[in-house]
Amino acid sequence: MKKTKEFNNILNDCLERLLVKGETIEQCLQSYPEHAAEIEPLLQTAMATKKAVAIQPQPEFKARARYQFQSALQEAKPKRALPFFSWQPQWAVAIAVVLVVLLAGGGTVTAAGYSMPDSPLYAVKLATEQVQLTLTPSDIGKAELHARLADRRVAEIVYIANKGKPKQIEQIAQRLNKHLAMIASLSLVEKGVEREMPVLAPAPQQVEEGAEAVPAPANAKAKLKRLLRRNEVNHPAVLRALLEKAPESAKPALRRAIAASEANYQKALEALD
Amino acid sequence: MQNEQSLVHRAQRGDKKAFAQLYESHFDKIYRYVVLRIGNKTEAEDVTQQVFLKALQSIRSFKWKGIPFSAWLFRIAHNLVVDYLRKVKKVVITPLDESSVKSDSNPQLLVEQRLDIEQLISATKRLTRAQREVISLRFAGELSVAESAKVMGKSEGAVKALQHSAIVALRKALLRAEG
Repeated sequence: MKKTKEFNNILNDCLERLLVKGETIEQCLQSYPEHAAEIEPLLQTAMATKKAVAIQPQPEFKARARYQFQSALQEAKPKRALPFFSWQPQWAVAIAVVLVVLLAGGGTVTAAGYSMPDSPLYAVKLATEQVQLTLTPSDIGKAELHARLADRRVAEIVYIANKGKPKQIEQIAQRLNKHLAMIASLSLVEKGVEREMPVLAPAPQQVEEGAEAVPAPANAKAKLKRLLRRNEVNHPAVLRALLEKAPESAKPALRRAIAASEANYQKALEALD
Repeated sequence: MQNEQSLVHRAQRGDKKAFAQLYESHFDKIYRYVVLRIGNKTEAEDVTQQVFLKALQSIRSFKWKGIPFSAWLFRIAHNLVVDYLRKVKKVVITPLDESSVKSDSNPQLLVEQRLDIEQLISATKRLTRAQREVISLRFAGELSVAESAKVMGKSEGAVKALQHSAIVALRKALLRAEG
């Protein structure tokens, strides 16, 4: 037993010298001549196994994974308290949120924030997003939230494409297009152009007739522009990379999403300039 | 280590840049470890992504108690690999392509290296799970014996013994593959 333990220590010492210090097999054998015959074949196998360090992730996968991780990282910010009075015009929705939290538990809503479209909690995630949109008072704030949600949808498309579920890609791409259309529409409102409500888009908050648009603070506008510029570059690039590998049935939806992202980000940025 | 400790503390306080740095410095090693454990490139990609999403969710629970951050990440990877292997009955080994192997520009060497690695992945399938785990941690993850012991929940002596038996078994498997 003691002999085996001693041999394990010698083998490990040689491995450290080969793997970490870059010494040769011969150098190790010189240190342990009495074990040379037994240890040499094992060190040769270790050198063959060392080739595993040459395995590397493919660049396309690395880019996709980094994008998904960055999206998750952006979403992982601490939640801010909502302004008390902002909920009043949407009291019914706010009560619904309270009910969801009470019935399902706050943990469920938090966990849902990370859920992907194939998760049972995904419906909670979408419902929470709708509530967030409804409770966001300004057009510029809504546009920013739609831009962040668009980012989530792209990350979800990447995730679902990796799972090979073309039908779901189409559904998420439709949701993405709604966000994009809303971003463009809300940015035009910010500019003072009459709102063009997109056909597909849900109306999270209708502007009351006769109500005047309050100009957004410059820093909110600048923040939105930075976000849109980032999305304008990232989203079409990520979706195009997916298009090459996607199954045929998912390609039309991805093409529509690429076209929509190119057109709507440009439209929104022009309106904000 | 000092630098990594500071990065981890910042990441725990919500510093996204710090977390992004940790991600970049560990991503390739975790991927290599998962590929060698699973043998299927596509599934390994999925598991690797999950490792970092899981780490993001639970970074606040990480405590410095003699366990390096890398060992904690590999522990997450180990658990996800175990879950994956429990779900699938038979792992299908997928061939690697040239872009999955780091090499200089010599195409001949690149092909040879890819074949060697594929042979190695196939040979590891003949090892026990614990032996494959120690080989993956030591050679693909580049962890020390001490770190591997933390990930595996074993003593350093047990890991050294396992390492010995794993290399002996791997040698036999590689010789058999060569015919």
